[in-house]
Amino acid sequence: METTQQTESKIIELKPFADEMVVNMGPQHPSTHGVLRLELKLDGEVVREAIPHIGYLHRCFEKHSENLSYPQIIPFTDRMDYVAAMNQNWGFCLAVEKLMETDESRNFEVPERAEYLRVLICELNRIASHLLSFGTYGMDIGAFTPFLYAFRDRERLLLLFEKVCGARLTYNYIRIGGVSEIIPMEPGSIAEQNFLDEIEAFLDYFEPLIDEYNDLLTKNSIFAERTTRVAVMSAEMALSYGATGPNLRGSGVDWDLRRDEPYSIYDRFDFDVPVAVDVPELGSVVGDCWSRYKIRMDEMKESVRIVRQILAEGLPSGPVMADLKAVRPPQGEIYFRSEAPRGELGFYIVSDGTPKPVRLKGRSPCFSALSALQELSRGLMVADIIAIIGSIDIVMGEVDR
Amino acid sequence: MSDFRAMLASPHFNVSESFFPNINLQDGLNWAEEFIQNVVLPRLPEAVASHFPVELGTVLVMFACAGIFVGVFPLLPLVLVLAERKVSARFQNRTGPMRVGPWGVLQTLADGVKLLFKEDYIPPQGDRFLFLLAPYVIFACSFAVFAAIPFSQSILVSDFNIGIFYIMAISSVIVMGVIMAGWSSNSKWSLLGSLRSAAQIVSYEIPLGLSILTIVMLVESLSMSEIVASQSNGIFSWLIFRTPFTFIAFFIFFISSIAEVNRTPFDLPEAESEIVAGFHTEYSGMRFALFFIAEYANMFAVSAIAVTLFLGGWEGVLPGYDILGGFPGFVIKSLGLVFLMMWLRWTLPRLRVDQLMNLCWKYFIPIAFFNILGTGIWGLIFPEDTLISTSISCAIIYIGLIAAYKVAGRTLAQRPAPQPS
Amino acid sequence: MDKYIRNIYRGVYTVLVGMRVTIRQFFEPNVTHQYPYEHDYEKKRNVREIPKGYRGQLYNRIEDCIGCKKCEMICPVDCITITGTKLPRGEQLWDSMNVVHLKDGTEVIGIIEGDDKKIKSEDSITLTNITSRLGSQEVIDRLEPSGAESRTATFSGDEVSRVVTRNPVVFYLDQFDIDMSLCMYCGLCTEVCPTECLVMKDSLEGIEYSKFDRSDLIFNFDKQEMYSKGGTEDVEAAD
Repeated sequence: METTQQTESKIIELKPFADEMVVNMGPQHPSTHGVLRLELKLDGEVVREAIPHIGYLHRCFEKHSENLSYPQIIPFTDRMDYVAAMNQNWGFCLAVEKLMETDESRNFEVPERAEYLRVLICELNRIASHLLSFGTYGMDIGAFTPFLYAFRDRERLLLLFEKVCGARLTYNYIRIGGVSEIIPMEPGSIAEQNFLDEIEAFLDYFEPLIDEYNDLLTKNSIFAERTTRVAVMSAEMALSYGATGPNLRGSGVDWDLRRDEPYSIYDRFDFDVPVAVDVPELGSVVGDCWSRYKIRMDEMKESVRIVRQILAEGLPSGPVMADLKAVRPPQGEIYFRSEAPRGELGFYIVSDGTPKPVRLKGRSPCFSALSALQELSRGLMVADIIAIIGSIDIVMGEVDR
Repeated sequence: MSDFRAMLASPHFNVSESFFPNINLQDGLNWAEEFIQNVVLPRLPEAVASHFPVELGTVLVMFACAGIFVGVFPLLPLVLVLAERKVSARFQNRTGPMRVGPWGVLQTLADGVKLLFKEDYIPPQGDRFLFLLAPYVIFACSFAVFAAIPFSQSILVSDFNIGIFYIMAISSVIVMGVIMAGWSSNSKWSLLGSLRSAAQIVSYEIPLGLSILTIVMLVESLSMSEIVASQSNGIFSWLIFRTPFTFIAFFIFFISSIAEVNRTPFDLPEAESEIVAGFHTEYSGMRFALFFIAEYANMFAVSAIAVTLFLGGWEGVLPGYDILGGFPGFVIKSLGLVFLMMWLRWTLPRLRVDQLMNLCWKYFIPIAFFNILGTGIWGLIFPEDTLISTSISCAIIYIGLIAAYKVAGRTLAQRPAPQPS
Repeated sequence: MDKYIRNIYRGVYTVLVGMRVTIRQFFEPNVTHQYPYEHDYEKKRNVREIPKGYRGQLYNRIEDCIGCKKCEMICPVDCITITGTKLPRGEQLWDSMNVVHLKDGTEVIGIIEGDDKKIKSEDSITLTNITSRLGSQEVIDRLEPSGAESRTATFSGDEVSRVVTRNPVVFYLDQFDIDMSLCMYCGLCTEVCPTECLVMKDSLEGIEYSKFDRSDLIFNFDKQEMYSKGGTEDVEAAD
């Protein structure tokens, strides 16, 4: 044991790679998805080590939450993963609702209509989030056009969100005990019908476009060359790093909280969970960048399926907000996780019975996925680093919180 | 001096051996001399007039031609930059620049003015001399290429007997400027970009040169005007259809030249998502504009060379008629190729540096050698370009394309099934 | 060798497929518009409409503000500052206006004839003194079905979805400042407002209010002169 340590230390002392070049990639760099800073140790184009430095977007979300009442925290969850803010709202609200359910005397039910609206909006939000991921990944790899196509389609979704909650990015729509009534939508009214028709029109427009995007980018041989067999994350590695969501499924682990631990009303819908398989035509193996990317493209189709089922059923009538006098969860603690577009979003809340939480912790899927970057990027090229960052699809707002 | 003048004025003045402009050169010289003799000399004092060098007129005409050349060609990138922005906007359902002038046509001009007034930043730790020199090297080389391109029968600056060789030589000097820029900036991104560029341009020179060689083998001349002259019998005499091998060579030439001018999918030297802006990261103001202008001038130049070598130059589609011929035809054909480059750029992602080398050394160079071999054999079988040889060539190309299309249909049917979940 | 040719083939084929996708889009119409010049969504099809309920700039109808400070308390970023003096118990300045929410989404501000607390869902409502919510005449025309002259309208019970009752104004408001540079546009304050006098502008003017100085983004809504006039008959919207 001692001898091996000695030999190792000798190797380090000798420094056989004298020509190592240290480059700072970020925090101001076109493709670090915000303000990620990577300290690259390069040997020519080959990356010897990539050390991610985070914290440039740290806004003290968790500490800040300790001084705010529960409804006031919801707008701050918007700012975590600002690309999929609806899902962040929902994750937090689910956790608080679960905590409040522990007290028998304060029991309440989230109305049926609110549950349907939540699933509807969050699945649309998932599409919007994956569209952004697709677009920026294309741009990272060097194709600019898919980026603008993705934004073109995302714009239509944002207009829908704007109509339902009045904001385009930071929605503050899903509330504890239901959804926001800031723009009232009477059950069975013309406004509701128009809204559902618009969603249907969007789905009809968007569904064929997924195949077009696959033609444009996914199956493109240059794109496939760039992303297949690059940064293969095995299932064990993904699990050990705590990668979740598309990153985990891209490594071939069949795990989706919506199906395996159904919350809300996800057990009523019929949808598949795409899991990566080897695609020998394009040279892709399970766990590479292409698999992770492809999971997102497939998930958009599944989200479309879920939304179509809701549209076929129609929204149930009734109130959208539970009859809650005040949000005062009982003393206790809770960890609740939900499936956000980027993976398992968990909230750990400690309550002492006051309207403000004693401690709030957000479990960020991006942070866990980003931690794998250092191991994934070793020995690859500079261009591959960009491909990895894009494929694990980080949002720095959520990593730093 | 008078010998020199006599040489220029003589009816046996050999265009191909001179460096001088060919734009109605004789008329211009005569006009200039008449102008000096009739207008300038009578107005001068007699003591001066008797010693006034009449040859000055010739020199002035040369300067005027050079001035037109230098003044007109930089306008070309201005148009092309706008065209690129408009074309890319169309590909992306946008409008592109719309504010400056009607439909934004003056946008590049406004950008140019803006760049002129920007701070000219020189990195203090960098190599100042090389930093200042690099943009001029690139700019000069990319415009020197135009000297050998025959835009039409009469519009060509100089008709060397080694025209295409000259173009190859001059355009590879550009890489020197790129390395200078990358090295002298004292920036790691710039260095990475310039080294990528050097590796890329040097590698892609080879398939480029080998494709040109097939043309040279067929035409048996390096002179650009002779290459064009050999394609004067309509569309089927264009060198691209002359043999099946030149058909392949055209595509190799075209793709390699995209790599030469650093455009997507080969824009690694300035890959914005990887190395910020590559070799010109540290440049600002007018020096940056020089890089930009040179890039677009290059883009047009390689298209023009491709048109000259493969698509008949300024010769028309039909032998007797001037359809797609002459100067407008040449420009239309070149702009068509430029559009193709833009189309590719706004469609494709970027290659990685090792894949770029793979593509060059494993695919293009072997195929280019195969082309040379094939062209040689073709030349042995058909020493003269006849109707039979052209028909056979076109038939082979047609059959090849049809076969490829059929295989495409089959592969389409065998598309991978949707992934099981 | 088979793989070699297959690679070339796949490369060329997928590039052509991609080019087909982009060239199709080449002939599609634009999806963008020239924003500051074309924001009239009624004239141009692809220009988006700012939807009803958009969360724009905050605006307070100070005449109706009862000084309850609920907005100040709920604001997560403390961008609202209110100071005021409460009147002695039993006194009041005036009553705030009614806000009638119609089922088609529009809102009308006025005074309901009779006792607004006794209105049942099937009763028809007559509004007098109809005023605009945000103050500009265009909004009045958009909101209000009857003519601007009469400022009176009657709505049947099945048209109306919700009525905001009148509340006594018992505060002299010395200061009502909203710092829009701090605002995070969550809309919580407008939800808790009992008289619905604090609203977010869902029009262009609620979006285009950029300023050159950050201090210009602190909007003072307090109006001292209204106390000297007194009474609801002088209640006119601000601006």
